[in-house]
Amino acid sequence: MEQEKVVIEVNHICKQYKVLKKGEGIKGALKGLVTRESRLVPAVDDLSFQIKAGEIVGFIGPNGAGKSTTIKMMSGILTPTSGEILINGMDIQKKRKEVVRNIGVIFGQRSQLNWDLRLGESYELLRHIYQIDKAQYEETLDVMDQILGIKELLDKPVRQMSLGQRVKGDLVAAMLHSPDVLFLDEPTIGLDISSKYALRKFVKEINEKRKTTIILTTHDLADIEQLCDRLIIINHGHLMEDGNLSEIVNRIAPYKTLVVEYYDEYAPEHDKCELCFHEENVAKYRFGKKEITAARLIEELSAKAQIKDVSIEEAGIDDIIRVAYGQ
Amino acid sequence: MSRAGIRVYLQVYKTQIIRSMTYKFEVYGNILMQSIIMLASAYFWKALFKNSDTVKGVDVDTMLIYTVVSAMISVVLTCNVERRIMTSVDKGTIAIDMMRPVNVFGVFLAEDIAGITALVFQNMLPILVIGCLFIKLPTPAGPAHFALFLVSLFMAFWINWLIACMFGMIAFWTLNMDALIQVKKHLIRLLSGSIIPLWFFPAWLRNILEWLPFAYLYQLPLDLYIGKYPVSSAQCQRGLCVQLLWLVLLTMGFLFLQKRVTSKVMIQGG
Amino acid sequence: MKLLRELFHYLDVTAANIKIAFLSIIEYPANIIGWLLSNPIQFLVGFATIQFVVNEFGAINGWNYGQLAFLYGLSVISHALSMIFFVNGWFMGWWVLDGEFDRMLTRPMSVVYQFFFTNINIFGITDLVPGVIVFAYGCQKIGFCFTLANVFQILVLLVGATLIRGGVYLILGSTSFWTRSAIDFGAFTQELFDKTTMYPISMYPEAFQFILTYIIPIGWVSFYPVSGLLGIENGLANGQVATWITLFAGILTMLVAAGFFKLGLRRYESAGN
Repeated sequence: MEQEKVVIEVNHICKQYKVLKKGEGIKGALKGLVTRESRLVPAVDDLSFQIKAGEIVGFIGPNGAGKSTTIKMMSGILTPTSGEILINGMDIQKKRKEVVRNIGVIFGQRSQLNWDLRLGESYELLRHIYQIDKAQYEETLDVMDQILGIKELLDKPVRQMSLGQRVKGDLVAAMLHSPDVLFLDEPTIGLDISSKYALRKFVKEINEKRKTTIILTTHDLADIEQLCDRLIIINHGHLMEDGNLSEIVNRIAPYKTLVVEYYDEYAPEHDKCELCFHEENVAKYRFGKKEITAARLIEELSAKAQIKDVSIEEAGIDDIIRVAYGQ
Repeated sequence: MSRAGIRVYLQVYKTQIIRSMTYKFEVYGNILMQSIIMLASAYFWKALFKNSDTVKGVDVDTMLIYTVVSAMISVVLTCNVERRIMTSVDKGTIAIDMMRPVNVFGVFLAEDIAGITALVFQNMLPILVIGCLFIKLPTPAGPAHFALFLVSLFMAFWINWLIACMFGMIAFWTLNMDALIQVKKHLIRLLSGSIIPLWFFPAWLRNILEWLPFAYLYQLPLDLYIGKYPVSSAQCQRGLCVQLLWLVLLTMGFLFLQKRVTSKVMIQGG
Repeated sequence: MKLLRELFHYLDVTAANIKIAFLSIIEYPANIIGWLLSNPIQFLVGFATIQFVVNEFGAINGWNYGQLAFLYGLSVISHALSMIFFVNGWFMGWWVLDGEFDRMLTRPMSVVYQFFFTNINIFGITDLVPGVIVFAYGCQKIGFCFTLANVFQILVLLVGATLIRGGVYLILGSTSFWTRSAIDFGAFTQELFDKTTMYPISMYPEAFQFILTYIIPIGWVSFYPVSGLLGIENGLANGQVATWITLFAGILTMLVAAGFFKLGLRRYESAGN
């Protein structure tokens, strides 16, 4: 594997926002006219990591955790309060114009297409902005047509498009200049199932076909499960976890859940596991993989009550999030 | 109107005052800009009067008072109602607004009066202070003139608000009104005497303007303030009568339009 | 060479942007009719009221009616040009609060350039109409000679004046990065420019003139270069040199404004934080 080249290097970035204090009522408003109190709120605090070429990295974290701020700093939109971000070895703050030539950006619910015009007009403008020559433009469009079927939309005014079609239009717009790195901030927010599917398929295929490095933030855990090789969990502006999905699961949520259906409502307790759910005949036991095996647990439970059916749930991303967010 | 209804309007009034005070930079920026514009006008007149003592029966000092008071009146004649209606229709929230138990136009009025209340302190007083310091103390012609000025200013406020409100209602029939709003704004600015008094206009134009409502926004209150005509003069009385006539006409027009608009919304749902 | 290629790139994108702007307005033909009515009315009526006053008083600070028309007309023309290319400066507060700079920051071109030129306001052309009418009227009134040299002078003047206006809009707008509030600078900026470019600034007190000459170079938008062209004594720069100073002042203002804008952009917080 030649996935060794580091594309993005984030070194000790911090970002603080200034938040104005506002008084209450008319008195507060009057006071606000003369004084100006503000405090600094850290959104990202000393974050460092590296991303290698061809990776698909998912950023998750609760609202206000700093993931959007981080992705916006990486794509050159926000200036870090301190620290540096190198993309292809270049500081994005110092060489913005050069760096952004090689990145593509998609922000959910925010389009870069011209609402009033045909989709093709927006692409034509991008072609001039990124100085893409005609042949290469056609070639990229061919590739995108295979993945998303974009060509039939080129002559359609954007305002007449469905949301799903607009999403496709935006995905292609971000890829026209064949960037090495693609940032997606909450790309699936508000999309219906088929559009989500198209988006995920697109991300997978451009990653495979074009070796595009992909960084995305999301609230949709299915995005992570289906797409990401690597997961970065951020909370309170700190990096909580960084690794691949199963590795993180094994480390911070090393347990499985046994779902048992009994013949009657009595569900026995067991001292090596936790009875975490019990309603009517169904009970769920969460057990550590090192504490006890599933076979043993079933055996010991069946000695205490008659079991009708069992199934085992692996710890998933929700469990990680529950642990990592401390909820 | 019920007690509860009044309470709603008062609540709107209070919130709106607070809201307009939170934009500190806007407040200071407005004061600065309006002062500059007022000073520029004052020097414009000073330059013109350099070689003449009185023109059209007015001397330079009166003209300076005119400038300061005109800037202060502009505060009373600010309103946001047309924009409010437009955005409300644009976003389609107007139907919900109109279903509420309080009259939506009453809410808009309360908001505008609140905005003006805030502006009296934020703009009018600073303008007065700056006007006194750098231009001239704007003393009214006399107590009777001042009393009539207040009456006329009160009517001017209503005329201005009703015009704006009815203008905003056009939004129920056509969508993009930006250009129309600009036309109205500039016509008022130029044909109301706010910058250049209508006495300087040629007679034929003046005769037309006397029958249009614009002159009753700035020109009449200003004439009364500076004492252009004696209190008992025919011009004075006729002016106030025509102003009252416009007020009545516009109120009737407003009530009629409000009915039309309400039934339109109820049928189409906005 | 690299610089030349860069320049070509920007010109190429500008052409594409202008094409897009034209395509967009064709989508809404009703709008252009509205503006075509509203803008000429504003300036023609405005100019008419000046005429009434001048008729009464004879002249404003030694400027007769024809000369004032010439001044007013040129001022409206540079205003129109600034409306076409730089009007977004007025509304920068909204751009800042809505996070509209996100897109521009991720594209490989100057953000100042994108800010102004990705939304060229073709409707500004409607301001040209009254400008040209009043200017033509003034030219005819004072018997202005359209020699090649004079036309060239006027073009230089218009470029400089438009840049000064654009620079001032940009500086005012950039304060939004600090205040983070959506202030509409339009109405006041326009009134300020009306008062200072459509009349001779020699009627204002010395201190005010000083500011308009050296600090906020609005005096160079019309007063100095026009008095230079028409041979009216302005006490500072007479003759052709005034138009060149206007061009210089325009470039300088725009550069300072761009620097200020860049400083502000570092404080840009995108939307929704």
